[in-house]
Amino acid sequence: MLKIDNLKVSLEEEDKQIIKGLSLSINPGEVHAIMGPNGSGKSTLSSVLAGKDGYVVNNGTVKFDGSDLLDAEVEERAALGIFLAFQYPIEIPGVGNMNFLRTALNSQRKTRGQEELNAADFLKLVRSIAKDLEISDEMMKRPVNVGASGGEKKRNEILQMCLLEPRFVILDETDSGLDVDAMKLVSRGVNNFLSSSRSFLVITHYQRLLNYIVPDFVHIMVDGRIVKTGDKKLALHVEETGYKDFLQLGKEKH
Amino acid sequence: MNHVNTSDWYDSLRRELESNSLSIEKVSRRSEYWRKSNLDIVSDFVQDTSQIDLSQLKGTCLFEPDLTVHGDIMKLGSEESKSVLSIMDVITDEESFAKNYFGRLEEKSQKLIPRPLARDNSLSPKVGYAISFSDSFKKPLVIHNRTKTSASNCFQRNLIVIKDDVEATIIETGNNLSVFNSVTEIYLGKNAKLNFLDLTGQNNIFPKISHKFCDLAENSTFNHFGLRLNTKATRTELELHLNGHGINTSIANVSLINKRDHFSDENVLINHNAYECKSRQVFKSVLENDCTSIVRGKIYVAPEAQKTDGYQSSRSLLLNDKSKFLCKPELEIYADDVICSHGSTSSSLDKESLFYLLSRGVRKDKAKEMLIAAFISEALDEIEDEDIKSALSHYIDNWTSSFFHE
Repeated sequence: MLKIDNLKVSLEEEDKQIIKGLSLSINPGEVHAIMGPNGSGKSTLSSVLAGKDGYVVNNGTVKFDGSDLLDAEVEERAALGIFLAFQYPIEIPGVGNMNFLRTALNSQRKTRGQEELNAADFLKLVRSIAKDLEISDEMMKRPVNVGASGGEKKRNEILQMCLLEPRFVILDETDSGLDVDAMKLVSRGVNNFLSSSRSFLVITHYQRLLNYIVPDFVHIMVDGRIVKTGDKKLALHVEETGYKDFLQLGKEKH
Repeated sequence: MNHVNTSDWYDSLRRELESNSLSIEKVSRRSEYWRKSNLDIVSDFVQDTSQIDLSQLKGTCLFEPDLTVHGDIMKLGSEESKSVLSIMDVITDEESFAKNYFGRLEEKSQKLIPRPLARDNSLSPKVGYAISFSDSFKKPLVIHNRTKTSASNCFQRNLIVIKDDVEATIIETGNNLSVFNSVTEIYLGKNAKLNFLDLTGQNNIFPKISHKFCDLAENSTFNHFGLRLNTKATRTELELHLNGHGINTSIANVSLINKRDHFSDENVLINHNAYECKSRQVFKSVLENDCTSIVRGKIYVAPEAQKTDGYQSSRSLLLNDKSKFLCKPELEIYADDVICSHGSTSSSLDKESLFYLLSRGVRKDKAKEMLIAAFISEALDEIEDEDIKSALSHYIDNWTSSFFHE
């Protein structure tokens, strides 16, 4: 589904390479976790996959279903089925949450050549997802994320995911700022959404999220590269010993 | 020169106003009040209008008119408009209610800021309406300007008197196809309330200046909302006198301008002359294609106006590098127990917000439109009537989607 080959990325505004030759292949139905210390390039990878400005791809390719993802506009990537759950979901005062959700859903449906959902069907759908995620009506009526707690914002991200039904989901440190109860709720939302045709890339610092969202593969990212790949036991190892063993591996790869 | 037989009271007033006109500073680049403005407003502006089909110009007429003001005539439409008088009839009537009001606020306004074009208007009104509300109107009175005249200037003169405890809403809209100079004098009695919406649309291809002067008695409310959609050169001068305690006022304006070198210029002076009054000013401008928006808002607080609450916010969204937002907030305060604040910002579209919307699949033009709507929503929220707000909001969204797309 997603194939990244020797990707090198630097920042647009300064001559600094963040991703230094990353390769990764993700098949339908797989859950991959990327762990790594601060500054290893994990969030840059998620931003580049979603199409955020401010980065220059110096080398490498990213194929999604065989076609070049890096050529597509941000909104086209979303319509292809790529979804980034933000580490810090932003507040957009003045844009109503419901209006935003309906516009997003119908824009994607239109791009895919599907019929737009009418107001009644949309309401029914969004309410049932909100109920599962314990998101109140009051929160749904607010402008996007305005006045929401960290946990509410993350739940809103998962609601968007469930509504838009992407095929490839990047969870960028979705566990940050969540208490145990909120993490369980968010993980339940994700686990209900798993399917043989969907893939996940879970970016996290800590192993604890992976207790709830169990990965098929765990990759350790250091200094812009994947230095070690394993199964969920690798995450447990990191939890015990930290990243120090892998920092050395990062240096050796230079 | 007037070609009608005007009343003795008007003739006497006119002589008085004419005799002290010379002391009013003229419009020029040297004047502090015109330094940054577009002087097309006072130039001999000529544009060929022969090709323009008036029936195709809907402007901002999203509300059915009760009253239509053409260049030199006024047509009454609905039942509600029957109590509206023509200003030309009023100034010929020796016993008109207007004789205690006409020209008084214009004259008072000259003491604070020179307003030479308002004086020209007082000396030669050509058309306009006079309304004295003694009962509340159930629905808004919609006034539609449809002026197409070869004359270089159309002077419209209006008078609105709202008696104690009466509420009214006036929506002024339409197209004008001539240089337009209007003066509206407004008197609000005790506990009276006026909502005034001044909707100036994209078909105002000629320069337009409107003056509104308003005297408010205790516990009255005046809400003014201005909309400027691609106006060629529009200048508004609003002056409010808060003369009794407990007065509430709100002045809000939305300027959406993306036709090259088009212009809006909003000038507000709020005089807090009494105890415990509240005034709010909210200005939002969205500018593209080297357009300019000016906001000059002053709050004056007299020594006796303790417990004044004055707020002013003026913000712009600049969609290209050469568009300009020129803002001059002023506070002049002589009382010590007051809350007065002002803030002004200019920014481009927030990249993070745009990315967030795009990353959910919202098309770029739609995302931009949503962020523009979000930006102006604070000003629209100043409109109390939900039906009017919703109609306007819908209208603006449609307009934005056709004019601000990439």
